[in-house]
Amino acid sequence: MEQLLAALFQLFEPTHLAFLFAGTLLGLIVGILPGMGGTSGLALVLPFVFTMEPSHALAMMIGVLAPTTTSDTFPAVLMGVPGTSGSQATVMDGFPLSKKGMAARALSAAFSASLLGGVFGALILSISIYYAIPIIMAFGFGEQFLLVVLALLMVGALTGDNLFKGIASCFLGLIIGSIGTAPITGDPRYTFDTLYLLEGVPLVVVGLGLFAIPEIVGLLDAKGSIAKSLNTKKGWFTGLKDVVKNWFLVLRCSTLGCLVGALPGLGGTVVDWIAYSHLKQTTKDTSQFGKGDIRGVIAPESANNAKEGGALIPTLIFGIPGSGNKVLLLGGFVLIGIEPGLDMVTTNLDLTYLMIWSLAIANILGAGICMGFSSQISKFTLVPYYILAPVMVCLIFFATFNFNRDWYDFIGLMSFGLIGITFKNFGWSRPALLIGFFLSTKVELLSYQTQAVYGLSFLTRPVSIILIILCLATIVLLTKQKFDKYYRSDFVKGKLTQIYYNIILLCLPLSMIWFTINLDYRANLFPISLSLIAFFLLIFILIVKIADLKNLSFLNYTLIKFARSNIFEIGGNFKIQIYYYLSFIGFLLMNFIFGFPIAAALFINLFILFHNKKAYVSSICISAALMVILWLLSSLLTLQFPNGLIGLFIDLPWWLGGQLN
Amino acid sequence: MSLFSFVSVASADVNFSGKTITWVVPFKEGGGTSRFARFIQPFLKKYLPGNPDVQIMHIPGGGAIKGSNYFEKNAKADGTFIFGCSTSVIVNVATGNPLVKYNLSEYRPVVLLPQNTHWFTRSDLAEPHDLSKIKERKLALYALKTPASADLFHIWIYDKLGIKGAKPIPGLSSSGGYQAFLRGEIHLSSHGAANYVKKVKPEIAKGKVVDLMTLGIIGADGSVSRNPLAPNAPTFPEMYEKVNGKKLEGDDLEAYYAIAAAWSQASKAMMLPKDASDEIVKAYRDAAIKMTKDPEFKAKAEKALGPFPLIIGEEAGEIIKKAAVFSDTTKKQLNAALKKHKFTYRVQ
Repeated sequence: MEQLLAALFQLFEPTHLAFLFAGTLLGLIVGILPGMGGTSGLALVLPFVFTMEPSHALAMMIGVLAPTTTSDTFPAVLMGVPGTSGSQATVMDGFPLSKKGMAARALSAAFSASLLGGVFGALILSISIYYAIPIIMAFGFGEQFLLVVLALLMVGALTGDNLFKGIASCFLGLIIGSIGTAPITGDPRYTFDTLYLLEGVPLVVVGLGLFAIPEIVGLLDAKGSIAKSLNTKKGWFTGLKDVVKNWFLVLRCSTLGCLVGALPGLGGTVVDWIAYSHLKQTTKDTSQFGKGDIRGVIAPESANNAKEGGALIPTLIFGIPGSGNKVLLLGGFVLIGIEPGLDMVTTNLDLTYLMIWSLAIANILGAGICMGFSSQISKFTLVPYYILAPVMVCLIFFATFNFNRDWYDFIGLMSFGLIGITFKNFGWSRPALLIGFFLSTKVELLSYQTQAVYGLSFLTRPVSIILIILCLATIVLLTKQKFDKYYRSDFVKGKLTQIYYNIILLCLPLSMIWFTINLDYRANLFPISLSLIAFFLLIFILIVKIADLKNLSFLNYTLIKFARSNIFEIGGNFKIQIYYYLSFIGFLLMNFIFGFPIAAALFINLFILFHNKKAYVSSICISAALMVILWLLSSLLTLQFPNGLIGLFIDLPWWLGGQLN
Repeated sequence: MSLFSFVSVASADVNFSGKTITWVVPFKEGGGTSRFARFIQPFLKKYLPGNPDVQIMHIPGGGAIKGSNYFEKNAKADGTFIFGCSTSVIVNVATGNPLVKYNLSEYRPVVLLPQNTHWFTRSDLAEPHDLSKIKERKLALYALKTPASADLFHIWIYDKLGIKGAKPIPGLSSSGGYQAFLRGEIHLSSHGAANYVKKVKPEIAKGKVVDLMTLGIIGADGSVSRNPLAPNAPTFPEMYEKVNGKKLEGDDLEAYYAIAAAWSQASKAMMLPKDASDEIVKAYRDAAIKMTKDPEFKAKAEKALGPFPLIIGEEAGEIIKKAAVFSDTTKKQLNAALKKHKFTYRVQ
């Protein structure tokens, strides 16, 4: 109790509040940008947190995570596009309300529901911390192994539009994660004798590549500004009253959100739909759902903020992430030197409480800002993307470089960017790939550790049995709910491209087997088993795809029917997205020649002027502001930006890429 | 005026006034070596002649090899570059990692920060300070991060103490390993001094955990004394004698000294490049000695750096040589232990 209050006082020190506030603002912004969410936001701050004190860094990271599911309501309600995956269900009734001219009511109801849900989640988290020690002690290697495997399966099964493609994505992630030094023997795997691959590609680079780049490219493809017009003036009070009237619904959905969030692997991807269907099942008059029922906004919004508190439970005590953003949060923990587990509820309890308070306060702050400045913030959805995009690309490059100060990371970033774009367009699951990548080493080590301590007997331990039953039941229930209903591959164009892509994906497991087959069995057992499973999954998916294309008769078997739903993805305009991607490569080349600061200024000007020749005032102002910020950062952090070739010929200031004095 | 400055130069012809000193740390911000550097940084500015700015440059990657190689290649010998070293940097050299391009044993150390290792077990498995019950066990599991790290020394230690059932569980960090130890999944565990005080002592007080031994504190003359944090626990040489019935000597003693130098005495270090002149080295060492007398340093050092006094001076150079260059017999000993546990990794 003492520590609980001490943590609160610590948080109210000006510096802590400042970091929390900065994080919250960033979280709000990435929440508004459709597609970007907590994962992209965290990936952006992660390269900077390790220069901070742990408590500051934690406040900032939680600040980024907490309010994304608050501000994502703006695009969901105003444009009918979910800002993050957590607000998909909000669109169902939020957008119709907005079309009826009741946008303000929907927004205020959503924000206050978010606030209540978020604080409730923090409360549950602080209570469960008290009971964490016996749980941690009951989870040995075997239980942890099961937990990780089942978390992977659940993420794979539930984050994709197609069950099998989701699970295959997970295995591909596991295979990529096994690149580098084999943890048992120290043999290099799939490294082609490079020092860079020996350590494996850094998590931050993978996160930025997989999530940030595809979203930017996708939004450029969608063209124009995000929203067309705004009307958020009247009806704020009505929204508040709606929430007060439906307080019991808020409470139920918050509890639901917490529980679903705490199940490792489920995380935030389905929680809004679960809350929405709970609402439907418990309401008598369902006639207005989908047409603008305010309860359809309140239910998912209270659940998706509450889930953060729940999701932090497995993250903090087992180090097992439930969603993409928790993967990066754990990456942040490593950077600032805290290890999840027993320490979080004993020696580092103060930090845990600090996170809980940060979570509660960030939710209040986020909702407060959204309500107080709603008309200003919603204007954010009016900024044309051709202005936002180059700035974000520069930010991503800067973040990537700052992480390791290594040129190779740019190559890693662009490679994973390409994987991200293709995965998104062809309907493979990026969260599953990221979680597989992150947990790969853990799975490998836990399998050895479990084997050494228990053999197979771990399966008969009571906690293991409960885990298996619990997770299998969830998977069966949720997949039924999610996949039974719709099949939509009739309108897909370019099926052949997606089939070719499937064949390209086959190269990864095959080459992994080829390069590791001659190693010691303790070094290659893991990647080869993974590769074999991935190979057969991919072949199966390929067959289903070809059968779908040719309309073969065996499609009528139940399993095949099930596998066929969403086997193809209706992506955006893939070609245009690739053009934009290539322009980023152009930026990378400019970096090699001019160094980062000059290249960034050039790129911003070129990019904006290419789209709109009249926008030179914005382009010059933005690039000038960026240069000032870079110069300040350089002197504050003694940071040398990536220097280009011209630094060899022209005498430049140090921060522009000149020689070290 | 010119006369005055001429006189003062005689005592300090090294002057860093207006210069910036770059302290290369081959690890991420926030790690132990980074914390060590950040703690020393303000004192260095205060006591080096000319009060130069000291900036810490983190170059993580490649198991500390990237930053260390960078230092070897780019550091100037004029005293404006210093290097933050740690056990893993030393182990990379001592075990002959082929990617290493830095010649650590010729560097000029300024300050060494010693550490010490404590071994302990659960109270239901053994009496305090007594290995006999552990030795009877068929299986005595312990945590091992990777055989290419300093954890390699555990394999040798348990081997020399004749614990036949000792079996490493790979891939466990020291804190992950300690958690598994508390859950009862592994039997032997160890911690450095700081975590020993913070995490293990409370469990000993509860009667759940008992001390086995410590690595021991090595004096300038090679004598080994007990660790003041666990004064009743025997040191490794004492335990060796008790178990084997003979004094620790010969090849075993040589290997012990090498291991203790790398693992314990030079746990963290601040070094100058190999070509740094004697004047520069002296200026740094003087600054370090002044630092240890600073009241602010005295007040904060125990909490920030641990209970063991810094090693400054020529003695430090000897320790680094011992730690960074393992003799062939020591390597043979380590490889024999590795082979026994079926590791493919070998010390080169």
